[in-house]
Formats: sequence, C-alpha cells, structure tokens
Amino acid sequence: MVAEVTFFILSALALGSAVMVITRRNPVHSALWLIVTLFSVGGVFLILRAPFLFAVQIILYVGGIMVLIIFVIMLVSVDVSGRQQQFSRQWLVGLTTVLILAAELGYALYRGSKGFLLARSAPAAALENNTQAIGTALYQNYMLPVEIASILLLVAMVGAVLMAKRKME
Amino acid sequence: MESGYLTILIYIGAVVFLSAAILGMSAWVGVKRPTREKLSPYECGIQPVGDARERFSISFYLVGMLFILFDVEAVFLYPWAVVYKELKWFGFTEMLLYILILLAGYVYIWKKGALDWSR
Amino acid sequence: MVPLSHYIALSAILFVIGAAGFIFRRNIITVFMCIELMLNAVNLAFMAFSRFRGNLDGQLFVFFVIVVAAAEAAVGLALIISLYRSRDTLAIDELDSMKL
Repeated sequence: MVAEVTFFILSALALGSAVMVITRRNPVHSALWLIVTLFSVGGVFLILRAPFLFAVQIILYVGGIMVLIIFVIMLVSVDVSGRQQQFSRQWLVGLTTVLILAAELGYALYRGSKGFLLARSAPAAALENNTQAIGTALYQNYMLPVEIASILLLVAMVGAVLMAKRKME
Repeated sequence: MESGYLTILIYIGAVVFLSAAILGMSAWVGVKRPTREKLSPYECGIQPVGDARERFSISFYLVGMLFILFDVEAVFLYPWAVVYKELKWFGFTEMLLYILILLAGYVYIWKKGALDWSR
Repeated sequence: MVPLSHYIALSAILFVIGAAGFIFRRNIITVFMCIELMLNAVNLAFMAFSRFRGNLDGQLFVFFVIVVAAAEAAVGLALIISLYRSRDTLAIDELDSMKL
C-alpha cells in the first residue's frame, strides 16, 4: 500500500518535472527541474529494491552530470540563449514524430499488457544484499566491460581536456 | 515488506513538514520592511559588483569534468569493496588494472596542464 | 505491489517527453538534458524488468548506462563549449553548414 502511494507520488513528480524541463525558457530552470526528475526516478529505483543503483543515480547523475551541465550553462552566457527563440521551426515534423512515437509506445503497452503477466513469477528474494550481489556479478561475469569502461573514461578524459583547452594557449 | 524504507519515508515527510513550517511561518508571521540594502544580493558583507551572469573561466569546467570521471571510478570501488574478500587476488588485480588505466589519464592531463589554475 | 506495467508506462511516457523536448527545443544544452531524460526512462525500464524477472543483469546494464552517460556528458559538454567558442551560438538550427 505504501509502495503504491509512493510510486504514484514519485511518478507524478517525475512526469511533471520532465514536462517542466522541456518547457522552461531558461536552461538553468530546466536543469533544476531535471534534478527533480532524476531524484524521483531514483526514488522509483528504491521501490524496485535497488538501493545501490539509487545511490549511483544520486552520486553520478545528480551530483556529477547535473553539476557539470550547470557549469557549462554558466560558461556559455545564459542571457544570450535565453533571449533567443526557444522552440525550433520544424514543429510540424516534430509533432508528427512525437505523435507516431507515442502511438507506437501506447499500442505496444496496450498489446503487451497480457505479456507482462509471465514476469510476475519471481519478485525474487534473490535480489537482497543488492550491493554484494552487484559486486560479485560486476567483477566476475562483467570483468571485461569493467575494464572497457575504464578505457572509455580514459578516452573521455583526454578528449574533453583536448577540446575544452584548445583555444586557451 | 516496505518496513525498511518506511522509516526513511517518515523521515522525508518530517523534513518536508519542518522546512515548509519554518518557511511558511516566517513568511506569514514575519514583519517585512524591505529597503534597497536588504534586497541587494548577499555577498559576504561586500558590496556586490557587476553582473552575476558573467562568464566563468574554463578551468571550472575542466575540474568539474575530472570530478565526474573520478566520481565514476569511486562508484566502481563501492561494489568492489563489499565483495573484496570473496574476489581474492583476482579482484585485486582487476581493480589494479582498472585504476592504472585511469591513472594514465590522470598523468596525461597533469602533464597537459589542465590542472594548472593560473593558465 | 506495483505491477510491472505501471513502471513500463511511466518509462514510456518519460521517454516520449524526452523525445519531444529533443525535437522541439532549440538550445543545445536543453537538447542534451532531454537525452539524459530519455536515458533515464530506459534505465527505469531496465530496472523494472530486472526486478520482475529476478535477474540482476538489468541492474548492471543500468550501471553501465550511467557510466557511459557520465563519459558522454564530459565529452558532449566539451563539444558544446568548443562549438560555442567557434560559432557564438547555442541554437541547433543555426548550425547548418552541411546544408546544400
């Protein structure tokens, strides 16, 4: 019961703030609303019994990526972009695309409502001790992706420094 | 089933109630006599100069960017740390390799001068 | 217990909102934030399926998606900065050098 109520509150928060993200003129406001969305989605992760991913969502997304986005908004002047036209001119193409996408997803959800029943079977207790289980899986089954992730981070580091620094010297 | 998180939920409710109560009461009961001085932005007692929207130095971005990438590294360490004993030397070598790769990037940006604040 | 279809519906609606913002918005930083929104919607679907199938792989996928999103943010925002320096604009439909 508590889980249901919390889920609906969090969903309403996530959807409402997502709409605010795409409608605010000022990118700083969009970023702040996006933080609300990310927190709500993180809360849904908790309802799904994934405390580790909840922590990752807060530490990396809210604490890392959003801070960087706000830094960049401060770096490029906000006032210039705030005064420009905010919505692109191809609204007809955009509207068609969004309607088709929404219709597709809606149809899939409508059709798939029976298909979901098969997944009801195991809201498994196997997912307790979440962080330990993730650690074991991450460092045994997913050994190679972990190392690849480190190389990706290395490339990102070098690339970002090169691109951001080029004009400085 | 939700008992573990129910306490957190109650806590969140209490926090929201308390902050709403404090802000609401001070807005409702408090006396407001605004002057020009009181409405100016607070800047540690110094007179505010210029526009707050001026452009920042690129160094802030570089430090923020490096913060994220090493943040990811730290996040990888949490699940490793809780199963450290079970993984034995295998996990240790794996994490050593992971950190060495990122260390190479760190040395590179250091040599490149991205951490040099004065430039 | 919240049924799986609720999570998937929430994820789908979030994704469509993100896609709408991605298409309609003109400021490149807002477009970037819409991409993050869509990534989050997909993560939510992964998490829901992972929980309901009792399989941890979905959570690991979400973890890697977030890690890749962090790398993407670092590089993508550096691109935005260097774009802004060379073009002095953030509006995506003014970046049309590929047009005939």
